Amino acid sequence: MCSAFHRAESGTEVFTVTCLFRATSSSTSALLIVCLHTVLLLLARLEGRSSLKEIEPYLFANEDSPVLGDILEFHGPEGTGKTEMLYHLTARCILPKSEGGLEVEVLFIDTDYHFDMLRLVTILEHRLSQSCEEVVKRCLGRFFLVYCSSSIQLLLTLHSLEAMFCGHPSLRLLIVDSLSAFYWIDRVNGGESVNLQESTLKKCSQFLEKLVKEYRLVLFATTQSIMRKTSHLREGPSSAFSHLSDAGVDYRPYLCKAWQQVVKHRIFFSKDDSKTSNQFSLVSRHLKSNNFKKHFFIIGESGVEFCSYVS
Amino acid sequence: MGLLRAGLCPGLTQDVVQLLRGRGIRTVVDLVSADLEEVAQKCGLSYKALVALRRVLLAQFSAFPFNGADLYEELKTSTAILSTGIESLDKLLDAGLYTGEVTEIVGGPGSGKTQVCLCVAANVAHGLQQNVLYIDSSGGLTGSRLLQLLQARTPVEEEQAGALQRIQVVRAYDIFQMLDALQDLRSTVAQRVSGSSGTVKVVVVDSVTAVVSPLLGGQQREGLALMMQLAQELKTLARDLGLAVVVTNHMTRERDSGKLKPALGRSWSFVPSTRILLDTGEGAGASGSQRTACLIKSPRLPTGFQETVDIGTWGTLKQSPALQGHPT
Repeated sequence: MCSAFHRAESGTEVFTVTCLFRATSSSTSALLIVCLHTVLLLLARLEGRSSLKEIEPYLFANEDSPVLGDILEFHGPEGTGKTEMLYHLTARCILPKSEGGLEVEVLFIDTDYHFDMLRLVTILEHRLSQSCEEVVKRCLGRFFLVYCSSSIQLLLTLHSLEAMFCGHPSLRLLIVDSLSAFYWIDRVNGGESVNLQESTLKKCSQFLEKLVKEYRLVLFATTQSIMRKTSHLREGPSSAFSHLSDAGVDYRPYLCKAWQQVVKHRIFFSKDDSKTSNQFSLVSRHLKSNNFKKHFFIIGESGVEFCSYVS
Repeated sequence: MGLLRAGLCPGLTQDVVQLLRGRGIRTVVDLVSADLEEVAQKCGLSYKALVALRRVLLAQFSAFPFNGADLYEELKTSTAILSTGIESLDKLLDAGLYTGEVTEIVGGPGSGKTQVCLCVAANVAHGLQQNVLYIDSSGGLTGSRLLQLLQARTPVEEEQAGALQRIQVVRAYDIFQMLDALQDLRSTVAQRVSGSSGTVKVVVVDSVTAVVSPLLGGQQREGLALMMQLAQELKTLARDLGLAVVVTNHMTRERDSGKLKPALGRSWSFVPSTRILLDTGEGAGASGSQRTACLIKSPRLPTGFQETVDIGTWGTLKQSPALQGHPT
């Protein structure tokens, strides 16, 4: 009984009722109703789909496909299509089932004021068979956006959003764009100690992991490549990074260890630099099994379109 | 935001702060992530009071989620597209400068960045009758050139004077002066000072490199943190006040390959939503005032399109014939 109350603590309506009953310890029938409410909400969440294949068949169609409770990181330099991919995944989630979507809710946390609602609407309009205002509005009703201006605000917002996850069982997708936005500011605010510099992001990573596991969500987080390319391999197990340079990827981990540990998949984005093609590519790497897969895509009016060949 | 102190929120008295501090809970984050049952037992505070306190603090300091449909409604009415006054640039920008976004004009010395900024200011002040805040950190703004641009648009002196009055110029020669100027803009808008006839719709920062590049380099992190703070200030200003921000940036050479690239590094490259590269035209036929503008970053158009612009005729409303470039 106690643990159910702890879980429900974050759901606001449920909490106020339990609080009253703790104080007055009266009628058990009311207590029973509260418990049932919590249990129903938890059950509604547990019965979801267990794999992400439907979100994007091209990306997630192999044995390593991420399951609910997984954290994926999108990494890449500017202009390589990370945010467009997020719009694509968002559109696939919020579109109604009749149009090929999943009809689930999405929570988008924007840390660098980057999100372009008009672009999302353009993508939705191009994907709907009849794009009238009503349908677009209904799709957007499944979309929630939060702006955060510092890593402390991000942490506090995650805590307060726990209530939202409790109350919205169809909220499946959590997106953070981007997690590295406060990197330099945090490093200066933390003074000389690296621990202090990374402490807020560490707490954010741990709390994100807890949220994702408890509420069976999938988290897509983008991190920007803000470090210059290394000319030679320096840190980390050399085998892991030599794999990466074989795949043509420029990756230098700079966020805290706690974040590196919670990520299950890492997807590297890059753009073909040659002037003749407009093609983007991504390399998807499952961290446990160390499998690599490369995909190509282009970005059109209706968002990301995967090219059908895969290397 | 950070330390717990008396009066931070209702219910947080000095006694409560002292009791919590005695148990190692000093900041808002500590209280929010602590196990409240344990804290209630150790501090002797009531569990109910602690939970209520936690809720008030979260409501006060965390961000509130917006619903997509509401946000779209709001954006539909508040987003405006402001023409730059240069037809070929407007084509690259998909009709003009979008409010709520930061647009960057990058180019080498003499490529025409300041001329673009002056032209935008003149067009917005005269053509669109809106106020402009022009933050000059490179010393490139001269009143006479602005007047020249306005005289080419209209012979009526009152209109010229009216347009000049709508352009507010602030000179900021280091990053702190620039941050101050942006903060002043916020407070002016917040107080709705009735001195100006309209609201500021465009903020031009010429140039951002002049105030940021002295801070970068070496092992110092403070420079990068200040740059990101300026970036955040510009973006939140654009988003919260619904204005279009135009910044200019210089070019620098890459360390290994010697290729030219926009300055201020990778961290800054994520800041503007749109980037236009101005280049002095190369090739035998390029006359002195020809420039090519290339779209190198855009949230809504494919990159690589080029347009040719003639700075000589920017002052007048008649434009040089724009040559459609192939996506290169």
